Amino acid sequence: MRAWLFAGTLLAAAAGHAADPLPIFDAHLHYSHDAWEMVPPKDVIALLRKGGIRRALVSSSSDDGTQMLYAEAPELIIPELRPYRSRGEIGTWFKDPTVITHLEERLKRYKYVGIGEFHLYGDSADLPVPRRMVELAREYKLFLHAHSDADAIERLFRQDPGARILWAHSGFEQPAKVREMLRKHAKLYADLAYRSEHGSGGKVDAEWRAAFMEFPERFLVGTDTFAPERWHYVVEHADWSRQWLQDLPPAVAEKIAYKNGESLFGNTVKR
Amino acid sequence: MRGAAGLTAAGFLACGLVLMSSAAVAQTPLPGPAPEELRNIQRHGPWSQPVPRDPSNRVSGNAEAIALGRALFFDPRLSPSADLSCATCHLPERALTDGRDRARGGGAAKPRLDRNTPGLWNVGHGRWFGWDGGSDSLWSFALRPILHPDEMGASAAHVARLLRGDANLACRYANAFGRAVPPEAAAESALVDAAKALAAYLETLVSGASAFDELREALARGDATAAARYPDDARRGLALFAGKGQCSICHFGPNFSNGEFHNIGMPHMVEPGRVDPGRHGGIRRVRADKYNLLGAFSDDATRASGSRTLHLAQNHGNYGQFKVPSLRNVELTAPYMHDGRLATLREVVRHYSELNVDRLHQDGEALLKPLRLSDAESEDLVAFLRTLTSRSFPDLNPAPGPCERRGA
Ligand code: HEC
Ligand code: HEC
Ligand SMILES: [Zn+2]
Repeated sequence: MRAWLFAGTLLAAAAGHAADPLPIFDAHLHYSHDAWEMVPPKDVIALLRKGGIRRALVSSSSDDGTQMLYAEAPELIIPELRPYRSRGEIGTWFKDPTVITHLEERLKRYKYVGIGEFHLYGDSADLPVPRRMVELAREYKLFLHAHSDADAIERLFRQDPGARILWAHSGFEQPAKVREMLRKHAKLYADLAYRSEHGSGGKVDAEWRAAFMEFPERFLVGTDTFAPERWHYVVEHADWSRQWLQDLPPAVAEKIAYKNGESLFGNTVKR
Repeated sequence: MRGAAGLTAAGFLACGLVLMSSAAVAQTPLPGPAPEELRNIQRHGPWSQPVPRDPSNRVSGNAEAIALGRALFFDPRLSPSADLSCATCHLPERALTDGRDRARGGGAAKPRLDRNTPGLWNVGHGRWFGWDGGSDSLWSFALRPILHPDEMGASAAHVARLLRGDANLACRYANAFGRAVPPEAAAESALVDAAKALAAYLETLVSGASAFDELREALARGDATAAARYPDDARRGLALFAGKGQCSICHFGPNFSNGEFHNIGMPHMVEPGRVDPGRHGGIRRVRADKYNLLGAFSDDATRASGSRTLHLAQNHGNYGQFKVPSLRNVELTAPYMHDGRLATLREVVRHYSELNVDRLHQDGEALLKPLRLSDAESEDLVAFLRTLTSRSFPDLNPAPGPCERRGA
């Protein structure tokens, strides 16, 4: 692992001249069972490379999808463990104790940087299954990648004040609320996947700009490949991200584009 | 607003009572439509409605232009190899579609196109055209099959020559546009005029009332006897459509479409490695289209009709969205969806019943949930959809009288 990290850094440094497009750390990708045939692993990796994606944070239902991609390109894929085994568990997993067994078994077998992305809202976050999941994250020093409302995020932090949480889609909250949450929780990070309004037309919205300037270290971009076809959107999404990022000071843009992802997740998978 | 105008809230309630009591008498008890469902039913009319004039098309509603458009629609000479007319794909005997999953193009190759041929009845009631809404007017859409190399593959010069070289077409053109067919150098304006004449014709393709419209009118009048003629299974299907199925939120209004774009979890891979981006591509296309409502070819000097195009904003959710199709005459236009992948209405209903929510973004289409319908409920919903078939259709291609050149 260390060897390839080192090589990767060298390569990146060698290739890093001005004309290169901004590298992108895509923090929100899924490679779920229905995608495996439609977009085979080799095609996925080719698309990521075409899009100039430097690293990809991937979680899948089932996790086998993530493992396939990881086997194909370990230098590119950063695995996250989803609590879903198959289709249709989005709305039931948090009441299903067998999810815990699943998590425990996978955590013993494979390396991950986080648990997620999971869907969890309001007081469901305090049910036994999510509680145990938070404990597991603490035990294994993993991020939680939560597609949640602010209420559930608060509850997760109450369970483990030391938790590190990547807030998927930043909870579809307004920028003022996202800032409030980031101020309150030093270990909360905000992914911007599936959101458009912060950078519509290549211009950064004023309120979002204030959020990015206040917390340049806390935002990440992501495509969200919730349906197989969306793998073919990764390239365009990366270009779209580069466009609006250009409207920010370069140092801030680089952080949101890939440096935040690199420093949060880049060195954490060791085996 | 004919039928609905005289209707009061009390009227709706009274209708509800009538329905419920007739349901109580019937063998299979019908769920009594809630007042809200009755309101939903009324929103699907009145019908039929003429298409309003299109301010971007100066010959919209013009009888001579309609006659020219009709002639062009059925004329294979519009394609340079004379093998394809609009009616080759939009067949009159098939409710103006072709019965294929995806259309076949023209020329020697007859390539399989990416999308399903939609029926054109009532098309003028739309506001975006094409499954991706890549055109913002009927006339700018009509240019697409004419120019597309996989379809007619014509050029402006070819269309201008056709108009000029045929006495009947030239005469209609002159009557409609008040000038002779422009010379070679201005062929593009002749092409756009041809498309505007085609659009004027398409605007007249409004189908007649259906069994559903008769029910709706009967409910509006409070005429229980007439309402009782509507079949029971369809009535239960209607309650699903306007009630727990939430179909009428997207398939909204008199033409059963809200005119917008949604993702209902249909796959949209054209072939391995190539995806139909749907509305995402459509927004790009309409913005880039020099024939759009903001461009020089629109006849709306105020450009007011282009304001929707001006204010289009693209978002990630647009990827994989397709236009909400009208459901009028849907029984006649199988197969279904943007790529015709569903062969029957039963399959469409099964799609909504068993919806794969993992294909939908949780915060994108919150409306859609798997309906988990019983077989009987599914049959009812299909029975309802079949009552949207018009009882009458105007003659598509009446023998035109000879063209007489009007004084300029
Ligand atoms: C090769 C078959 C073919 C031919 C020829 C053809 N069409 Fe179509 N038509 C289609 C297909 C396929 C679509 C859907 C296109 C899309 O969504 O991109 C369509 C869509 C349309 C629509 C949009 C309907 C809607 O609801 O959005 C209109 C209007 C239309 N055609 C008119 C015409 C006219 C006018 C002509 C002749 C100039 C024509 N078509 C020729 C296949 C054809
Ligand atoms: C969220 C909006 C939405 C809802 C709700 C919805 N539809 Fe649709 N419907 C669509 C869209 C969009 C398409 C076209 C999708 C495509 O082509 O990929 C469609 C296609 C269809 C078609 C195929 C029509 C054709 O000409 O191909 C039928 C039939 C249909 N819907 C019936 C229903 C019924 C019945 C319900 C309720 C159970 C329903 N719809 C609910 C948006 C919706
Ligand atoms: Zn999500």
